[in-house]
Amino acid sequence: MVMSSFTPLNKSLLRTTQFKCLRRLYHPASNEYVNPTTISPLTYSMDSIQSKILSHSLKEYVPTSGFNEKSILKSINDLGYSSSMMSVIGASNSPSFAHSSPAVLELIKYNLVSKRIELTKDTNDNTTTTLKELLLKRLEMDIPISSQLRGLFAQLATPGKFMFDVSLPELFQLADDMIFFSNEKDHHDMAWYSKRLAVSMAYVTSKMFMIQDTSNNFQMTMDFASDKVDRVMNLGEYYNNVEEYAWFTLMNSINLVKSQFSRM
Amino acid sequence: MLRTSLYNQSQLLSRPFSVLAPLKATVKNGNKSVKAGKHAEAKVPKYEQLSEAQRAYLDRVIRVDQAGELGANYIYAGQIFVLSRKYPHLRPTLNHMRDQEIHHHNTFNALQIKNRVRPSLLTPFWKVGAIAMGMGTAMISPEAAMACTEAVETVIGGHYNAQLRVLTNQFDLEDVSSPENKKGTPQEVKSLIDTIKLFRDQELEHLDTAIKHDSRRAVPYKVITEGIKGICKIAIWSAERI
Ligand SMILES: [Fe+2]
Ligand SMILES: [Fe+2]
Repeated sequence: MVMSSFTPLNKSLLRTTQFKCLRRLYHPASNEYVNPTTISPLTYSMDSIQSKILSHSLKEYVPTSGFNEKSILKSINDLGYSSSMMSVIGASNSPSFAHSSPAVLELIKYNLVSKRIELTKDTNDNTTTTLKELLLKRLEMDIPISSQLRGLFAQLATPGKFMFDVSLPELFQLADDMIFFSNEKDHHDMAWYSKRLAVSMAYVTSKMFMIQDTSNNFQMTMDFASDKVDRVMNLGEYYNNVEEYAWFTLMNSINLVKSQFSRM
Repeated sequence: MLRTSLYNQSQLLSRPFSVLAPLKATVKNGNKSVKAGKHAEAKVPKYEQLSEAQRAYLDRVIRVDQAGELGANYIYAGQIFVLSRKYPHLRPTLNHMRDQEIHHHNTFNALQIKNRVRPSLLTPFWKVGAIAMGMGTAMISPEAAMACTEAVETVIGGHYNAQLRVLTNQFDLEDVSSPENKKGTPQEVKSLIDTIKLFRDQELEHLDTAIKHDSRRAVPYKVITEGIKGICKIAIWSAERI
């Protein structure tokens, strides 16, 4: 796949990048192609060294020490790689003063992407899985790292490049996957957008609920999420959620900026 | 669920110009896993991945065509609403064209869901604009309505031809399963090409119909057709992007 052999189309593509936030890619729906080696937006395959280090770190160290360089370093040592792997891992992220380090950003990205892929990997075309089941399953995946969610949230929602290039696109991608891979009805008009916003919203608010939840096995979070999804989907409430979501993002950003500064 | 049946539906639309086509189609387009015989197994091509540019292009094609067919459908709806009582003889013609537009629109709706394409954010505006355009021209006169159809279909015909040029020239992928990696176009893209070809031909029939129904006698012909052509081009440009 040499991109340069593709000049005419590349040019027409460049002309559309002005609306980057709206950019999406066609999903081939047939099995005529070889399997992709990497899972976008990750730039390495799932069996690469980077993946091994990050998934080991996520499983063994993040639950107790959180999303930081220490967790990655311990994992690098466990697997017997040189500590220079740290800079290899962070290679695709640019350093930013608001975030800890490019490698940590990659760990966070890996956490989101790998769990999203994991969520729908067993679903097929004739799925009977409901949207609610997928949402609860995704929340359950984060139970092991529940004590680190507050810190994770702060990193994800710090306004800046990472939030616009990774956090928000991943959130929408997750909502998109949940709708596509469940038996949820999909739409051809504005409801396409409002439904995705509503699902993102249900997910994010449930996650915030989870941060404060002390109930056994996060039962209260699961109840909250079920209730949220029911209300949103059954009453068609998602038509009104666009505004709510905008407010939510704004308020959340302000709070997190404040918390960032108070930590410094 | 919906997705598999929709794929078959778009396959049905591929109509090569041949009397033997239906016979060939069952062998070539049939469900591969079921039909795969002794030799068929090795012949199923495996293509390299579509590039990002190619995927972005297909995304735009489906979005803009979905929006366009939605518009066409609503234009005819507006015309029928205004004209059908006063000019009953036009009703069958208009209904026939609208039925075809509905089929076009449904086909792209299905592709939009199947290939996970984002619909145009301006969809509400396309609906309102198209209905207004259909009703507005029909209220001037039946000829003006036909001039509107003529202008719209001229632009759409050209637009579909431009897409067909890119789709046939830019989607030669390496078949990794063949001995010397020879190039070919995936069935998925071929079937899209066939769909667009069929629709383009039907749009050009609509254009002929409009001219036969005196579109050229509309007053003021130039203003209506040129104005509408301009609007259509702007609409296409925005629906591809937004
Ligand atoms: Fe059409
Ligand atoms: Fe038409």
